[in-house]
Amino acid sequence: MIRLLVEKELREIIGSAKFAVSFAVCSLLIILSFYSGATNYKNTVTQYEAAKRANFRQMEGVTDWFSVRNHRIFLPPQPLATLVSGISNDIGRTIKVEGRGELDAVDSRYNDEPAFAVFRFLDLEFIFQIVLSLFAIVFAYDAINGEKEQGTLRLSFANAVPKEKYILGKLIGTFTSLAVPLLVPILIGCLLLPALGVALTGSEWTRLALIILAGLLYFGVFLSLSVCVSALTHRSSSSFLLLLVVWIFAVLIIPRASVLLAGRAVDVPSVDELASQKIRFSSQLWKEDRAQMAAFKGTSSDPMKQFEEFQQMMQKQNDERDKKMQEFSGALNEDRENKQRVQQRLALSIARISPSAVFSMAAASLASTSLDLKDQFRNEATAYQKSYAAFIKAKTGLVPGGRMVVMRQEIGGGKPKPIDPYELPAFKYNPQSTRDALNNSLFNLGLLFVFNIIFFAGAYIAFLRYDVR
Amino acid sequence: MNQTQQTTPQQKQIPMIEAFNLTKTYEDGNLALDHVSFTINSGQIFAMLGGNGAGKTTTINLFLNFIEPTEGEARINGIVTHKEPLKAKELIAYVSENVMLYPNFTALQNLDFFARIGGKTQYSKNDYREVLLRVGLDEAAHNKRLKGFSKGMRQKCGIAIAILKDAPAILLDEPTSGLDPQAGYEFLKLLESLRSEGKAILMSTHDIFRAKEISDIIGIMNKGSLLMQKPAHELEEKNLVEMYMQYMAGHNGQVSQAA
Repeated sequence: MIRLLVEKELREIIGSAKFAVSFAVCSLLIILSFYSGATNYKNTVTQYEAAKRANFRQMEGVTDWFSVRNHRIFLPPQPLATLVSGISNDIGRTIKVEGRGELDAVDSRYNDEPAFAVFRFLDLEFIFQIVLSLFAIVFAYDAINGEKEQGTLRLSFANAVPKEKYILGKLIGTFTSLAVPLLVPILIGCLLLPALGVALTGSEWTRLALIILAGLLYFGVFLSLSVCVSALTHRSSSSFLLLLVVWIFAVLIIPRASVLLAGRAVDVPSVDELASQKIRFSSQLWKEDRAQMAAFKGTSSDPMKQFEEFQQMMQKQNDERDKKMQEFSGALNEDRENKQRVQQRLALSIARISPSAVFSMAAASLASTSLDLKDQFRNEATAYQKSYAAFIKAKTGLVPGGRMVVMRQEIGGGKPKPIDPYELPAFKYNPQSTRDALNNSLFNLGLLFVFNIIFFAGAYIAFLRYDVR
Repeated sequence: MNQTQQTTPQQKQIPMIEAFNLTKTYEDGNLALDHVSFTINSGQIFAMLGGNGAGKTTTINLFLNFIEPTEGEARINGIVTHKEPLKAKELIAYVSENVMLYPNFTALQNLDFFARIGGKTQYSKNDYREVLLRVGLDEAAHNKRLKGFSKGMRQKCGIAIAILKDAPAILLDEPTSGLDPQAGYEFLKLLESLRSEGKAILMSTHDIFRAKEISDIIGIMNKGSLLMQKPAHELEEKNLVEMYMQYMAGHNGQVSQAA
């Protein structure tokens, strides 16, 4: 019986002109998202390599390591970010490393290409979140009440058809006839990636498969929700309207409202507030040090020795100032981060009412483009800054950064040799491991599954009570 | 087509479709059916006459267990429909007033689906073609999608589905509505052949003349009550029309039981 009903759904949906048109549009968009993702990735790789080369080029001709002042590290493009951009286009991709002090990521993708900030990128996440959820509604909003309006429900139930088998067949049939054909353009898209020069590692393929799974679960949520609403109403126009309202809330309102609500509930000091406090404190420290510098009196009459003493004093001041600054900034940052974490957690918890937000979070976690990406890049940069400082200290005897006076003395009149920038320790970004990404997405994947179960059960119960006349 | 005749004609007189004090009161207090009783034996056609809202469709809905009776029982071959609905429905074929099938399916595909959902999986395409020809649907229409079909053509498909089910009890809810005179005539011939196969047929209709022509028993319903049921041969056509008009006008006569 279930098989017969599944076959009927397959035949009815796939044979309709509505399916042919919608499927063609969805397939085109899916393939386009893979294609544009792949070309974007190649462009960002080119930009990334060019930026790295430019970084080394600006060091050319520099003859001592102490004069290296504008060393930058870059967030390498992540292949999966092209399919699920998450926050990867919003956060800064470049960090200036000085050896000490706070690190700020600048030059986001949207900063470089503001037009994309207006219209955003067409990625796989967008296709699933917006297009395919609507696709599910368009095909399932009249799954039950449409059959009633059509008169076929009455004729079907004039036969010995158990209601539970009918609804099960309906759900399986609708899902199979809509979700399985969607796998075709997705598979074509997957094949396009290596063909267009995007080489994914085994781990990235696994993550991509899980992103697609999350997408199908999300699709299933809207499908079972549509069948449920269709079994709760008697007119297809009512169910369509109701589902449209639910879609607007789930996709557009709840995720945004959750951020607003969390912002109201938890007060987080702004970055500007913190920056001005840090500047005030730094100026105060600098004022104290300047007074000390003004009062400097060397122990030797030899100007070179005096300069060395002065430099040592400055280095000491720098170290102490840096330490105080780090403590002060650390306390401020920690306080802000704690509050921000609470705010984020609250926002994400509220947003989880919406399957759309849950899917977004799951997909972004799997693509490593969630909110964690910012922390991951900063942590990697902080670790790099330490190795950079150690390298410069090994070369010059001093930790770079801060304020100091450098005196260059040429002995013997020979031309100094330029430094080799490639000696610098290379910045190697370690993306989140697959296990971590999976752990972070597991809750959201589970939640999508629970949404499916809830709406499936809703559809089942509603249909058992449905008047088929 | 492999037509398995499950029952022998009239001679056996097995009570196949039975209503016992069948009563339906809706939640809003509306009494849709008031203690209706009748029996249709295998090989008999019972025509329920009555205007709109008389309770004809409610009676059929109770036999199909689309609604449950407030009182009384509807039985198919002794099976109480609201107690064992699936078992009862295995024995029922149904044709509605306005047959609606899947518009994107062809006639053959619709027949295939509804035959299989009715538990008949043994039919081939040729069987479907044969039965479609039997109900008068031209071969050219067999592979056409239903969305282009007229009401009469859809009605023929609905009847074909009922024939394919080969059930001992057939419920027809104004089946000739929408059929042209030629198709109506062919339909009556079809009913005769189904009767001769031993089927018990309950038919609701507005059509007094066809009811008189084809049925064995005629019942007149008004406002949920079965006001009269008599063997058709006892009624003259003229009498039946007068009687019907009187009952519709509110004549409160005693129910006259069929012999």
